[in-house]
Amino acid sequence: MEYGKDYGKPEMMATAIIREIKEGDVVFHGLASPTPMVAMKAAKALGKDFTYVTLSDGLDHDWSRPPYFASTLSENTYIGSVATFGLDEIFDLFASGKGDIAFLSCLQMDKTGRIAMSVLGGKDYDHPKLRGPGGAGSATLTPVTKRTVIWKTAHDKRTFVEHVQFATTSPAIDKPFTVITPLCIFRKPAGEKYLKLDCIFPYTTVEEVKENTGWEIEEKDVPVMAPPTEEELAAIKKVDPNNILAFEF
Amino acid sequence: MPVGGMWGSDLVDIRPEFFQVMKSPFSEEKVVCVKALVPDYAILHVQEADIYGNARILGPSYQDVLMARAAKKVILTTERIVGTYRMQEEPKLTAVPHMLVEAVVELPGGAKPGICYPEYLTVDWDDHKAYQKAVKAGEVPQFAAKMLEGRL
Repeated sequence: MEYGKDYGKPEMMATAIIREIKEGDVVFHGLASPTPMVAMKAAKALGKDFTYVTLSDGLDHDWSRPPYFASTLSENTYIGSVATFGLDEIFDLFASGKGDIAFLSCLQMDKTGRIAMSVLGGKDYDHPKLRGPGGAGSATLTPVTKRTVIWKTAHDKRTFVEHVQFATTSPAIDKPFTVITPLCIFRKPAGEKYLKLDCIFPYTTVEEVKENTGWEIEEKDVPVMAPPTEEELAAIKKVDPNNILAFEF
Repeated sequence: MPVGGMWGSDLVDIRPEFFQVMKSPFSEEKVVCVKALVPDYAILHVQEADIYGNARILGPSYQDVLMARAAKKVILTTERIVGTYRMQEEPKLTAVPHMLVEAVVELPGGAKPGICYPEYLTVDWDDHKAYQKAVKAGEVPQFAAKMLEGRL
């Protein structure tokens, strides 16, 4: 598979998300999440057996119906569901330790995985330069989810900063925590405090990752993740003929 | 009330009027407690309601049911008024019961320019942008009058 010809950054990120999901997992994505939505539908198309929960109330909806716009709050993630399971029920499920993955995003993040979703810049919390969407999902889910996975479709020094001023949430020390970007995967193993560069994608280098990350990266030699397979690319195309995956890139 | 999660959030420290950390009465565990929010009104749009305020939500219900329980008073707007027999056929499908409801308004299209499954499935972006513009210009009453043209 050749980068730029057979696949691009969106397909690589979606593939990395697909590979995070294990058989039997209970997996959540939230609002405005077209990238994990397409990846999770593709994982279903690949035959992975996991439970799909999301904010539309739909549980294990009919993934074969293609999304036609980027909202993840439409009937597309509801029709064909086997049950309704709303956000309050999802919060309870994850708080009781039964949620495996929550795919969440962020405005900014630092090396400890502290996430800004509420405010950026300005004088203080009440006078920010930018007020974000807040942390209804991430503040509640991040500490209690077994394997929180942050996806972010931009990898630059504005996003990955040395220090997040106001953390909407931060990872639990006793749980693993993963960050998927268009260039690489960072992981904080359970019991550790800092994110480590876990692997890079085929079209980049450790140097490029360093140049675009606001914190010190100590790792020098890291594995390169295999590009999407033919099957993975076919699954992504099959569930997403309208290319909703491109929306965030 | 105690909630799962929330630890590790700076929100807990900056808003003591909403968040407090307590020791669990059952173990040494620390638990984040949030203050219950009690809105004066919850205004909910539903697909079906009877004249007494029994309401069925036929699509995703989001936090509507919780809000109906939390608010002091509930106003329902509904795509259509149905007979109470609809509720009696399947009581389990009544999402909001009548004693919580102050008023019912029959208002087809009341969720526009948003979505109301399965009545209308996509956001009307032209109207949505007009609404945003009206908010910025302080002209929401004029926008509402236009949206409700012919029905007031």
